[in-house]
Formats: sequence, structure tokens, C-alpha cells
Amino acid sequence: MIKFENVSKSFGRINAIENISFEIADGEFVFLTGASGAGKTTILRLILGEYLPDSGRIFFNKEDISTISKSQIPYLRQQIGSVFQDFKVLPERTVRENVEVALAVIGIPQNDWEIRVKNILKLVNLYKRAHLFPQQLSGGELQRVSLARALVVNPKLILADEPTGNLDWDTAAGIMELLERIHKEGKTIIMATHHQGLIKHAKHRVIKLNDGKLEE
Amino acid sequence: MNIHLKTALDYIRRSPFQAVAAFFVLTLTFFVATNMAILAYASGQSLKYFETRPQIIAFIKDDGTSETISALQNKLNLDTRIKDVRYVPKEEALEIYKKATEDNPLIAELVSPSIFPASLEFSVVDLQLAQNVIDEIKAEAIVDQVGFTASLSGEKSLNTVVARLKTISQYVRYGGLILVGILAFTSFLVLLIIITMRMATRKSEVEILNLIGARPGFIRNPIVLEATIYSLWGVFIGWLLSFILWLYLTPSVVSYFGQISILPREPLQFFIIFLIILAAELMVGLFLAVTGSLFAVNRALKRRR
Repeated sequence: MIKFENVSKSFGRINAIENISFEIADGEFVFLTGASGAGKTTILRLILGEYLPDSGRIFFNKEDISTISKSQIPYLRQQIGSVFQDFKVLPERTVRENVEVALAVIGIPQNDWEIRVKNILKLVNLYKRAHLFPQQLSGGELQRVSLARALVVNPKLILADEPTGNLDWDTAAGIMELLERIHKEGKTIIMATHHQGLIKHAKHRVIKLNDGKLEE
Repeated sequence: MNIHLKTALDYIRRSPFQAVAAFFVLTLTFFVATNMAILAYASGQSLKYFETRPQIIAFIKDDGTSETISALQNKLNLDTRIKDVRYVPKEEALEIYKKATEDNPLIAELVSPSIFPASLEFSVVDLQLAQNVIDEIKAEAIVDQVGFTASLSGEKSLNTVVARLKTISQYVRYGGLILVGILAFTSFLVLLIIITMRMATRKSEVEILNLIGARPGFIRNPIVLEATIYSLWGVFIGWLLSFILWLYLTPSVVSYFGQISILPREPLQFFIIFLIILAAELMVGLFLAVTGSLFAVNRALKRRR
């Protein structure tokens, strides 16, 4: 699914990641872990095409995305569901509209939205709150909106960048439970986190980063 | 409903003060633009009236015979500087007089055709030639006097009259254009500012949409639609207010200017003129909305990958 070959990226004089190589297969759940500034978010952003690597190659579904053009980036991102630490929920749209926008982006006909949105909102337990705005939701609920939006397009890959970072332990556990359910359905998940408790509890493969380099 | 249209309507509904500001500025612009267009049309019509009326009248002496008058008329017809030559006999001159004094028929009864001179009326193809032609006609043996038909403030020459009319007309046209241009520029700026403010407050929304794979058109379309709705609505309301105003004013204006048809007397023609103005304004409004919003949106999108 994802392959990094000797990938390096720096910002000015700071080497965010240096000579990273790894491979993630279809259906794997992988934690990217390391201290703040270790390069976890940089790796996720490289996969999303937000940056291009300074050197090395990145493959997504056997396709080299390390030199992807600007016009092709939306199509790459439409295949990836993203969940972020700061939720990144559209503030002026309701829960339902936030999920629907993902379907509109990939061009699903409006007639098909109702059933898909209903199923996803039930999965994340937000069906009864579909009419509410983000300001009316808790942190855990906002993260579930973000997750619902990521899942509704049936992506090949889910990238989660510190999805439990702003949540209390119980809420974080709830989010992890959802991610586990999704993983059991066959989705590939890459989750960046420095939360050791979650990593130990989940028992999935771990890629450790230290100062931009892979730890053996 | 199309999602982009729904999003645009939601944006408008959820930011009512910005919407009202844009709406007012655009309505004012197109209200003024419609009125300026009508004034320009009216001034053009009045100028056309004076330009196409017989401008020069050569009054024939009483001893002029039909042969000499015909000879002069033929001479004038062959002159390439002159057009629309017409002979007005005494009887017709009396009829013209009667018509001009029809509100006081007693005056008309006191006169007979014999006191009115026959005349040759004609126009010049270029008003700059008028003075030379007048001087030549004055030298003709059978011509008693030469006059010209239009005089606004006692001008002594036709050129002065027409120059004054042209100046007035130009003031109306160019002044109107400048005023409308300023208002249109103001509208463009207001739209630009509102859209830029939208983009600023929606910076996070643009970032999120980018991250979930929205193409630039998906991000841009609701915003362009929103600007278009403001613009077309402003055009229509501004035009409608002007239309109602002129519906009310037209009878008085037409009556005041009498023979000069500065505005159409027929309702259908009146309506057609307003429809043409509406069509032109809709195109301008659309242009303002699309260019302003695209400029603002593209600036915001350019910075992102």
C-alpha cells in the first residue's frame, strides 16, 4: 500500500526526516511513534502530497507519488481518509453537511448520500446529532465527525495524525475502538501518536522515529 | 439543489450583514447606471431631433416666381452639401402657423396666407458647412432672409446651437459614463473586499477542503456563485427601481418636451429599451461578480498546495 524508499525532507536547515525507508501492506494498522518533532506528521503530509520529498521515492498503491503534480493531488487525497488532532471540521456546516461534503468532493450523486451518511453517522454514534454545528459538540464528538467524513468515501487508506491528542483517556479509548472496528473491516490505518498507553494496549506494528530517523 | 448553489445560499444566509452591504452597493450602482443610460438615450434623441430637422430656411421674396423658385430648388438639390430640400408654399406656411398657435385660434383667424413668405427648407450633410451655405444662399436674388430652426439662447449661428447641444449631450454621456464607471469600480471593490473577507474567515475551510481532496473548482464555485447572486440581485432591483421611476416620470417628461420625442411614447418601445438596458447590465454585473470573486479566490488558492 505504502512504500518509502530513502526519503528525506528538510525545512531550511532542519532535517525533518532523513533517509527513511519502510513498507506498509494492505490491511495493516501501523503506529508512527516518536517524540514531538520526530517527523511523524512530516511522513503523513508527504503521503498526502502536501510536500514533495527532497530525495527518495514514495509509492502509494505501487504508484510513485514523490513527483506528483499539483493537479493530481486532489485525486490522491480523495483515496485517503484523514483524521487530525485539531479535528479540522468545517465550522459553518452541520455534522451531516460535514460528512456530505466529502461525498460531494469525490462526485458521488446526491441521491446516494442519504443512506451512506446515515450508516456512517450510526457507526460513529452521531446520527441523532446530525443537525448540530461543530460549536455545539464536544471534542470526542468532533473527532468522530472527522472520522465519519474520512470513512464515508470508503478510502483505501486512513491517516490519523494524533487523533486522540486533544481528548481525555475515555474519549480517546472510544476513538481507538472505532479505529479498531474499521481496521477489522480491512482498512489500512497509519496512526501517528506519542501516546504509549494506546500503543501498548492496541498491540499493532510500530514504526519508531527519533530525530527524523528510523529507530531499529 | 446543486450543492454549490446550496452552499452559496447558506453562506449568504449565515452572513447577513455582508450580504446586505454588497446588495446595497450593487443596487445603487445599477440604479444610477440605468438612469444614466436613459438620460444618455434622451439626450441622443434630442440631438438627433435637431440634427434631422430642416435646419436652414431660405425665405423667398414676394416677387419670386415659380420658375425662379424651381431653379433655386434644383440648384440646392444638386449641391452635395445639401440634403432634404423642400419647398413650403404660403398656404402651408399658414397651416404651420395655425398649428403652432392652436391654443389661441383667434390669432390664426386674423391672418391670411399672403403675409407668410414661401420658403425653401433644407439640411446640410455636415453642420460645419452650414455657415458657408447660409452665406451663399443669402446672396441669391430671390432670397429675402435665411434663418435656422434651432436656437437655445439666442445664438447667432447654427454652428453655435448645434455645438451647444452636442456639448450638453457629451456632458450627459461622458459624465454619466464616469459616474457609472466610478460606481462600478466601487462595486467591484466592495465585492472584492467581501469575497476576500470570506476567504480570510474561511481560510480554515479552504485548507480542510484541500486536505480532503477538493479540486480548486469545488472550492471556488460556491464563492463565485455567491458573488453572482449579489450582483444579479443588485442589477435587477436597481433596474426595477429605475424602471418604476421612469414609468412614473415619462408622461410628464414627454409632455414637457412636446415634439421632441426624447422618450418613446409607445409602451412596447419603452419596455424594449429598458429590456436592452437590463440585458447589458446583467452582463456587466456578471462580469463584475465573476472577475472580482475569481481574483480573490485565486489569490487565496495560489498559496496552497
